[in-house]
Amino acid sequence: MDSGDDIAIGKARRGDRDAFRVLVERHAKAVFRLAYRMTASENDAEDMVQETFLRAWKQIGKFDGRASFATWLHRICANCSLDLIRARRRRQSLYQPPDDEGVDPFEKVPAASPSPERLAQSSQISAILVPALRELSEMERAAFVMRHYEGMGIEEISVALGVQPGAAKHSVFRAVQKLRRVLEPVMSASR
Amino acid sequence: MTHISEEDLVLLYYDEPGVAQDIRKHVAACGECAAAARKLARELDMCNEWSVPEPDPQLGRSVWAQIAPQLEESQSHRFRWLKIASACAVMATLLIAAFVAGQASRHPRPSLTAGLSRQARERILAISLADHLDRAEMLLTEISNVGESDASEMSDDRSRAQDLVEEGRIMRQTLARQGDSSTLALLDEVERFMLEVANSPAKLTPVEMRQLRERIGSGSLLFKVRIIESNLRNEGQKS
Repeated sequence: MDSGDDIAIGKARRGDRDAFRVLVERHAKAVFRLAYRMTASENDAEDMVQETFLRAWKQIGKFDGRASFATWLHRICANCSLDLIRARRRRQSLYQPPDDEGVDPFEKVPAASPSPERLAQSSQISAILVPALRELSEMERAAFVMRHYEGMGIEEISVALGVQPGAAKHSVFRAVQKLRRVLEPVMSASR
Repeated sequence: MTHISEEDLVLLYYDEPGVAQDIRKHVAACGECAAAARKLARELDMCNEWSVPEPDPQLGRSVWAQIAPQLEESQSHRFRWLKIASACAVMATLLIAAFVAGQASRHPRPSLTAGLSRQARERILAISLADHLDRAEMLLTEISNVGESDASEMSDDRSRAQDLVEEGRIMRQTLARQGDSSTLALLDEVERFMLEVANSPAKLTPVEMRQLRERIGSGSLLFKVRIIESNLRNEGQKS
């Protein structure tokens, strides 16, 4: 019900919390899905959903309607997730944490080379894919997740990430190249 | 013969607008490029195996519960001047009201419910709640029965829904003191639905209307409203 967002956005911009609540309830699941792809952690994804909507409330006066509200939220969510990933990488470079706390969840998934039979299950695919996604730059990861999993077009991704369409296209392309390098041997082995 | 670049194959895989027609034609005609496109598709299709856990159906609600207390602070800067002006207006009104009350207190009037027993007050509340749910039921029934193909005019429904939101809140505050959790939960559910209607566009497409109807059906909202309304009505009529 995207067209219905206009009414709620208008009211929320005037400080109407009820209208903003409607937007939260409409978009929370979609934001969660993006946040999960970005962070690979359910707990982090839920935190990112909250952070996204808090930032959205603070910035709703700046929402100009050029992109859809969903795209605008995706942009905020991608930036929140990237901030989290960057902060964790910084902390990791400063300290070696004794446990999982403060570690990029992508780092927690062990790189594996399972047999083609095992790859039939999605959990095993994740065991290869998630570490491969970890190797991507933040921009590549965000652009690939938006393109492949969220079905967003290059133009939309460029708006969401605040970059030129050419840069968004190249980020997607570089991500695909890197992922193919990991996935190609698996495909060959499964034949 | 120049074959299609990997970058163009990626754009083709994602069906990006702007992929030239001659690229599509070439891939259709060239065996080597068609094989490369199939290989790319197989590899990228593997990425679809990474599934996202289904979020909690109540995610929106729980997120709202977490962030709602923090929203006031972030808005307070923007609306501080408005709040100050409102506070001054309220203060002035209170001063006038205090003066008028002082004059009137020489001849005090009893409150409407003063002297009523606890049981009688509960019956009045039950009947008020039943009336509120009756109005909600009427709107829910109307929305449930809109024709499949009609684009629906919502202006009247929106204002009725907004009235029901405000009325429901007063009911909830009163009910919260009594701790009736099942009726409170229903009032909350009704409020969330009415908020959705109150914030809908003036005209809904058939698809949007269907989504609204599905919301009524998926949570058996109308059914629950009817049951609780009927219970409250019986409760209120007990002598």
